[in-house]
This record gives sequence, structure tokens and C-alpha cells, in this order.
Amino acid sequence: MIKAKQYTCIGCPIGCPLQLQHEGKNIAEISGYECDRGAKYAKQEFTDPRRDMSTTVEIIGARWKRLPVKVTGPVEKDRVMEAARKIHELRVRAPIKLGQILIEDFLGQKDIHVVACRSMERIN
Amino acid sequence: MLDRMEGQYDVVVVGGGPAGMGAALGARDSGAERVLILDREPEAGGILWQCIHSGFGLHYFREELTGPEYAERFLEKVIDYDVDLVTNSYVSGISVDSDGTKSVRVMNEAHGMDTVNTKSVVLSMGCRERTRGSIRIPGTRPSGVLPAGLAQKIVNLKGYLPGKRIAILGSGDIGLIMARRLTLEGCEVVGVFEIMPYSNGLTRNLVQCLEDFGIPLHLSTTVAYIHGLDRLEKITVAPVSKDLKPDMNRARDVKCDTLLLSIGLIPENELSLSLGIQMDVVTGGPRVSSTLETSMPGVFASGNVLHVHDLVDFVTRESLLAGQFAGEWAQGVRRPADNIRLVPGDNVRYCVPHSLSPEREHTIYMRCKEAMMPCRIRVGNLMEKKLRFVVPAEMIIFKIKPDLLDKFHGDTLRIDILPAKKGKRHD
Amino acid sequence: MYDVAIIGGGVIGCSIARELSRYRLRTVVLEKYAEVGFGTTKTNSGIIHAGHHSSPDTLKGQLVVRGNKLFDQLCSELNFGFARIGELVVAQGEEDIPVLNHLKKQGENKGVPGLEMWDQQRLRREEPNLSHKLVAALHAPSAGVINPYEFAFALIENAVDNGVELKVDSPVLKIGVVKDGFVFHTPHEKIAARFALNCAGIFADKIAHMVGLNDFNIRPRKGEEYMLDKRLMGLVRRLIFPVPKPTTKGILIIPTFNGTIMVGPTAEDTEDRFDLSTSYDGAKQVFDFVSNICPSITERETITEFAGLRAVSNTNDFIIGPTNIKGFINVAGIQSPGLTSAPAIAEYVCYILKGEGLVLNPKDNFKHHVPGPPRFGTLSIEEQQRLIKENPLFAKIVCRCELVTEAEIHNAIDHGARTLDGIKFRSRAGMGRCQGGFCTTRCMDILAKRLGLSFHEITKRGGDSWIVTEMGKARGQRREQKKSY
Repeated sequence: MIKAKQYTCIGCPIGCPLQLQHEGKNIAEISGYECDRGAKYAKQEFTDPRRDMSTTVEIIGARWKRLPVKVTGPVEKDRVMEAARKIHELRVRAPIKLGQILIEDFLGQKDIHVVACRSMERIN
Repeated sequence: MLDRMEGQYDVVVVGGGPAGMGAALGARDSGAERVLILDREPEAGGILWQCIHSGFGLHYFREELTGPEYAERFLEKVIDYDVDLVTNSYVSGISVDSDGTKSVRVMNEAHGMDTVNTKSVVLSMGCRERTRGSIRIPGTRPSGVLPAGLAQKIVNLKGYLPGKRIAILGSGDIGLIMARRLTLEGCEVVGVFEIMPYSNGLTRNLVQCLEDFGIPLHLSTTVAYIHGLDRLEKITVAPVSKDLKPDMNRARDVKCDTLLLSIGLIPENELSLSLGIQMDVVTGGPRVSSTLETSMPGVFASGNVLHVHDLVDFVTRESLLAGQFAGEWAQGVRRPADNIRLVPGDNVRYCVPHSLSPEREHTIYMRCKEAMMPCRIRVGNLMEKKLRFVVPAEMIIFKIKPDLLDKFHGDTLRIDILPAKKGKRHD
Repeated sequence: MYDVAIIGGGVIGCSIARELSRYRLRTVVLEKYAEVGFGTTKTNSGIIHAGHHSSPDTLKGQLVVRGNKLFDQLCSELNFGFARIGELVVAQGEEDIPVLNHLKKQGENKGVPGLEMWDQQRLRREEPNLSHKLVAALHAPSAGVINPYEFAFALIENAVDNGVELKVDSPVLKIGVVKDGFVFHTPHEKIAARFALNCAGIFADKIAHMVGLNDFNIRPRKGEEYMLDKRLMGLVRRLIFPVPKPTTKGILIIPTFNGTIMVGPTAEDTEDRFDLSTSYDGAKQVFDFVSNICPSITERETITEFAGLRAVSNTNDFIIGPTNIKGFINVAGIQSPGLTSAPAIAEYVCYILKGEGLVLNPKDNFKHHVPGPPRFGTLSIEEQQRLIKENPLFAKIVCRCELVTEAEIHNAIDHGARTLDGIKFRSRAGMGRCQGGFCTTRCMDILAKRLGLSFHEITKRGGDSWIVTEMGKARGQRREQKKSY
């Protein structure tokens, strides 16, 4: 049975309304796009939607109480809240260097890490 | 961080955010020896430290970075380039001596009240947020009503939450970003309310900050009343009619303990006004020539203080240029005055700079009044540029080459945004 | 046991406290909110009336002129801001002139100095930004402006300096009438005093009920005010009044002490003693009216708005005097011109207390002066540099809109600020264009450090007005589907 999913393309401000028709996991047709960014986006969103993630973790001994961190690769969309909860369990201590790996192979993904987005000196 | 402030400078940059850092680098590139950045925060980097989401650097670094990463890269360059940087410092005024030297009055705990002499100045003080008072929401004055940027600082730097059950007024990117941010921190975001019939934010943010989390976006809706004595208890929201006035017959209450206001940014030009610099009422920033020089000789401006940008990459680009011209000016270079006035025409809200010269290439920054797709930008009778779309939220940037202006013999050049002549129309 | 308990730490309670502190007495002020002046006082328009508006047949009409006269000395002793900028009652048409004449006569009979009629020419010359449709005005040079909360803070500081005790967060829940006086029950303690002064503002009737007195009631009358951008400073130089109506002096243009222009107040009777809301109708009323008088003023210039409740008694006059309950003295129904009358009310209450048997022995070591908070932003560069040399924290800007330094924030805390509003009203941090966008977290940091509190324990104005909450404590819910309302 053919089902349809709707997406809004995020490639540019036009935001083409996309329709993706599928049968189970097989894509039948994608329509509504003005350029092929739309087609690519709809396909990705259907087969493996992912999101960039950044948040903060607690840091001790620095100027601010929080250290901005990010995941170095996009996280599965359905695991975003779980990812946030896991990251928020972290507590780090200054000094920290930009790019420092805080959690390796995050959520079981090889070579995707949680890293610091800035350096923070130790301040007493 | 360096902490020196002695002797005469070539260029003093007021504000060490992305604009200030860019200007300082541009000044050094031009050959200016002594360049100083003054910033009122404990560290330079401006607003970027609290913008922990990605979307920065795509143009400038060809990488997608978070705000702090972008800030740190520039901070490293600033240090590498031997720019003096003094933080925790507030510029309380600037006066000009008879020989054109600028005396910049600085206040900080370490030096007390001091004066720094410099040949030229770049103003890069950035912008501030519009407040509740400016849109006059009736009701009471409980705690829990605050600008979205302040909430962002509280969450990302101070490590606290502005509340637990959050409503957001304004669907610009700051509001959308905070909707996601607070959801990730475990808050309940009850809705985003937008007075216009469309959102100002990036489609990407509408999808990834609202749709992903099931946060409703209510267009053509505003907050008509604030309730709560000590702390916010609820808001009354109502749909608005074409005149943007709330229809109280269809109002409904929304329980929440926090209301974030994401209702606009205003360039912070108190210092510029105190200098008597000529301002552009539409941008809220100084009027500048094609060298980004204000009406006060040797005082330049760039970044959000000049006009509110969307992408920090373009702030950097604009500021490198302003710094370069400020640096040159300090070294005695006086370029011939602009002789072409640039005027916003149909569907153009503003354009910066305000004048041009046939001497060099220009980057024009402008915004449209209304969305139009497809369309064309008409620059006098010199050139036309087709665009797929323009929207007010996205700044339009294009170059004008000197050979184009050579052909121009008038003194006023008008830019219009017009519907495309032929081709597919979208509704 | 105290000699006198003052119920209510608004400007009336604080004025009386200061007056009583001249004498060898044990006096206590019981204030229900986190700081003094946090009720009606901080929302007051700040006008020191000349006195010609109120009839000499009323108590308020009698006390106002004396009160006005006392402000020069009070200002020099207590160092709060006060400026006699003068007032104009403007005539919008010829039919208003007889009212102006009546006011002039009424004022002259009461000893109001300098009253003078201005013709249209003079009015246009002196106030060029007022509407050219105005035909004449009554000028009263002795009218002035203060910041009412500044006045209250200075009064209570002087009173406390001279031995008065101040208890905040202490609403009176119950009053026991005992042999020699009263026992007041607050949430924290029981306080005994021989005399009770009921200065409880919009709750004065409720306090009177607690001792079984039912002979007056308070009907709050709400007033909305709108603060305008500093840009408009100097647009008008004097207080501008319309021709008055029976229940209200009307909607005014008020150049506040700091120069910022405020317009309002409205006058709306309400049953709700907690209604501090502003409204679309209120704004419309104010700006429709004011733009007629001064066309350059529009709604768009608003930077903030607020509302306050006047304590109007059913007699429409002050109710000041002893009662059937020995030792219980009402100082109630203090509506306009209550602020102006405050010093005279304080004198009068002392006189009443004497009559009721309280012996007033003047102290010989009464401290008259209070230094007044430093206002860095208003000083000359030399004075600023001198302050910075004494205390480098004067070089640290906390509020950039009003140029308030960290030293002034500490000063505010030294002198009683315990909340964000307490800092705001003492130092002006947060009163400017950005309305606290820049300085809020800084002020909270300083408050937390000084008071030994956590960041999230800081409140806007006490009670339940928390500002932030701790991370990890939010009740999060992930939405599965979009919900519609």
C-alpha cells in the first residue's frame, strides 16, 4: 500500500513542501521540489533522519558554569532526547581545550564523539 | 588575554565580538601597527559564546561551526596578529582633538578611568533586544517575562533555566533556537506565538526546533495579556486581524511560568549618538560611506551596530573591510569622497553603505520589505540580477564592480527589487 | 514592648517613623513586602503638589501646603532627589478659564506661593512643545517632583539610623487587643506595642477590622502610568495638568526627577486589591489625551508601563486620628496629595500621639542626615575620577543604559536592597531602555554573593517572584504529536 509523508525542505527559505510516497521502506516517488536539494533531503529524512546536536555540560572551575559541547556527527532524530540526557550526565573540570573529546564513540557510533566547542581556562 | 593600553593607537575597536575582532584583523592587515580592542565583557567573543548551536562559518570557513568555535578561532587570530585586547572595559565616550586624534574614555576596574588616544575608531558595539515595554503588552509585571537572548545567557552561560513551562513570543531564529534548547533541557515549551502570518525564522529551524518536538507555531497570534502577581501564571493569546490588533473575542489563556520575547534586535548606538554621528532611521545604525566611515571622519562602523545581520560570516566580511579602511585612515590614506548616493527603491527596506565611489568594488547589503519570488534586483540602469526569492529575514548581498560605476554619470543610484520579468511565478 | 508599632512601610509609615525617631521611643515598622515602599509608594507619580487643587475644607487640603514647604529641608537632610520644576494647569478652551481662576483663588487663600495666570503667548514661549490649541495656563512654581521610593528609602534609613526597627516580610495577620496596648501577629513572631499606627494603605480597613473597627472602608483606585524613552527628555519642562475633574486630577505629563517623561495616571475604581495590570484601554486613554496636549508624544515612545492602586477611603479624604480603641490611630485613605502631605502627616500624627498620652522626649543625638546614594552617571568627570580612586568598583559599569556602577549596586545592598527591584529602585539599574537585558544577571550575581544566596534564590521583588530555576529540576515532557489548542 502506498503511503505518503510530508516534509518541508530546509535547503533554502522557499521551503518547498515535499511529498514522499513509499511502500513500506521503499520509496516510490518524491515530488514538490524545485531543485534536487529537495529530493536529497526528502530521501534522507525518510531513510535515516538525523540531527546536529549541541548542548552544554556542567564544568567546574571555569569562568562560566557550563561548557558548550557538540556531537561531531548528526544523531538519529529519534534518539535526540536520549542523547541530551546522556550528555547532561557529564561533569567536567577546567581546563578544557576546544575539540577535546569528552565522550568517545557516542551512542555506539564509531568515530562520532562529544567534543568541547571552546577552551575554558581554570579560574579559581 | 593581553591587558595593555599605553601610548597612542592607530585603531581602537569598540566591542570585541565578531565585528570587533574582524575589524581588528582587517586593521592589522592594512598595515596598522597598534590596534586595540575594548570589550565590556570578561572575554572577547561577544554574543557567540552563548550561541551554542551550529550554523556559523559556512561561508567564511567553509565549515559548519557552533558560535563558540567561531569565536575561539577568531580570538586565536586576534592574539596571533598582535592585537591588544582589554576586557571588562566600558567605553563611556569619545572626543576629538583639534588635530583629529580621538580620545576614547574607558572605564575598568584595573585602570579606573582612562583615556586612550587613537587615530581612528571602529564602532562595533553590536545590538540589544527589544523589550516588553516597546510592544506594550498589557497586564501585570511578574517575574518570568524576559528577552530570549537573556534566557539564552541564563541557560548556556549561567547554567540555570528561566522557568519550567515556557511560551515564546516571536518566531525569529532566537525564539526558535530557544524552543529547542529548553526542550533539550527538560522544559515544556507550550508554543511559539507569531504576530505575522509567516515566520521570520529559517525553515531549518522551524523543522528542527519546532516540528521535531511537536511544539506548535501559532501564526497571526499575539500575547494580549500577562497574568501573575509575583511570578508569571499564564498569558492570554489572541489571533490578530490585518491591522495586527488582537481580537479579544477569540482570546484564550495559556498556562505558563515563563514568557520569552523574541521580538527584534536594535543596534546599540548610544555611543554613536553621543558623538553626533548621522544615523539611518531605518537601520537604526550610522550612515556610512563605501569605506564604512561614518559622518565623523576617522570613525567607522561595522556589524550589528551598523545594521542587524543574520549570518556572522557576513559580519566578519563587513568588519574586515571596515578595519582595513580604518587602518588605512590611521596611516594617512584619504580616499576620494564618494560621489554616488545609494538610495533604497521599490521593496527595498534599506541598503548599506549609503554611498558609493567608482574607485573600487562594493559589497552592498540590503533587505527587502516583502517576500517576492522570483524577482530581480535592479541597480539603476547599470545592472540587473535575478534571484529565486527574497524574504525580509534574509539579507541580500551582492557586489558592484567599479567598471560598472564608471559608466554612471548621475549622483544618485537607486536600487529596486521587482518581480521577475518572465518565467514561472510561485504563489 | 514597643511604644509605637507602625503598620505599613510605605512613604507614610516611613515618614512617621522618621519623625518619631527624633524622640526617645521604641518604635517598630512592620512591612508586609520584602522591602519598604514596595506597595503603592513605588508606583506613585512622584509629584509634590503646590496645594491649590484641594479644597481647604478637607484634611488633605489642609496638610498639603505645609507638606510642600517641608520638602526643601527634608531634601537637604535626607539627600533624595527633589526639584521644584513648577506646574501648569492648562486650559484647552475658554470654558476652562473660570476653573483656573477658582484654583488660583483657592490656592492663594491657602498660602500657595507664586500662582500666576499665563496667557497663550507666554505659554507658547515657555512650553513650545505643547499644543497650540491651548489658550491659557495657571502656573504654580512651588510644585515639584521626586522619586517616591527614593524618598521612602531615605526616610527609613534615617529612622533606622536613629534607632527605629524595621521588620520586612512581616504582614500583620492578627491583632490582639491587650491591657496596655496590642499584640501583632506576623508569620515570624508576635510583637507588642502600646500604640498602633495604621498606615496600611490599601489594606488599612482590613487592619482596622482586626481590632474590631468598621467605620471606614478603602476602595482602591487604579492608575496606569507609561514611561517614555529618554529621547523625549526636555520636551516639556514642567508638570502639565489638565483642568481637574471631581475624582481625579486627570492625566498628566510628568517630567520625572531624572528627566524621563512619564504620562498618566488613569483613574479606575476597582474591587480587586491586587489588580496591578495595565490595559489596552488604559494606554489608549492616556495617549489619546496626552497627544492632544503635546502632539510629539505617541505610544511608540513607551519603554515601560506599570500600574498602582490609590487607597481611597469612602470619605474621599484622609482618615487620620484616634479611634474608639485606645491607642489605635488611623492614618488611612492617604490618596493624592498624600505624598506631598507625608511630612505634615507625620507631624500631625506625633501631635495626635501626644494627645493620646505618649510622652515625646526629643533626643539630643538625633542624626538629621543621610548621605544619599552616589549617582556616578550624574557627576562631572573630575568627581567620577575621585570616586574611582576611592573605590575601583566605581569604574565597573553594571547598567550601561543608566550608567550605574558596581559600587552603586553594593551601596544599594548596604542600604537595604535584597531583591532585584530593591536594587533597581535604589540604583536605577534596570530602569533604562533595555529594561535589565544587560544588567540582570550581573545584579543577581552581586546580590547572591552579598546575601549568601544561590543564584536561583534571588527574586524580583520577594515572595514568589523567583527569576531562574535550577537545571535538572524541570518537569520535561516530550511531545509525540503536535497539539492544537
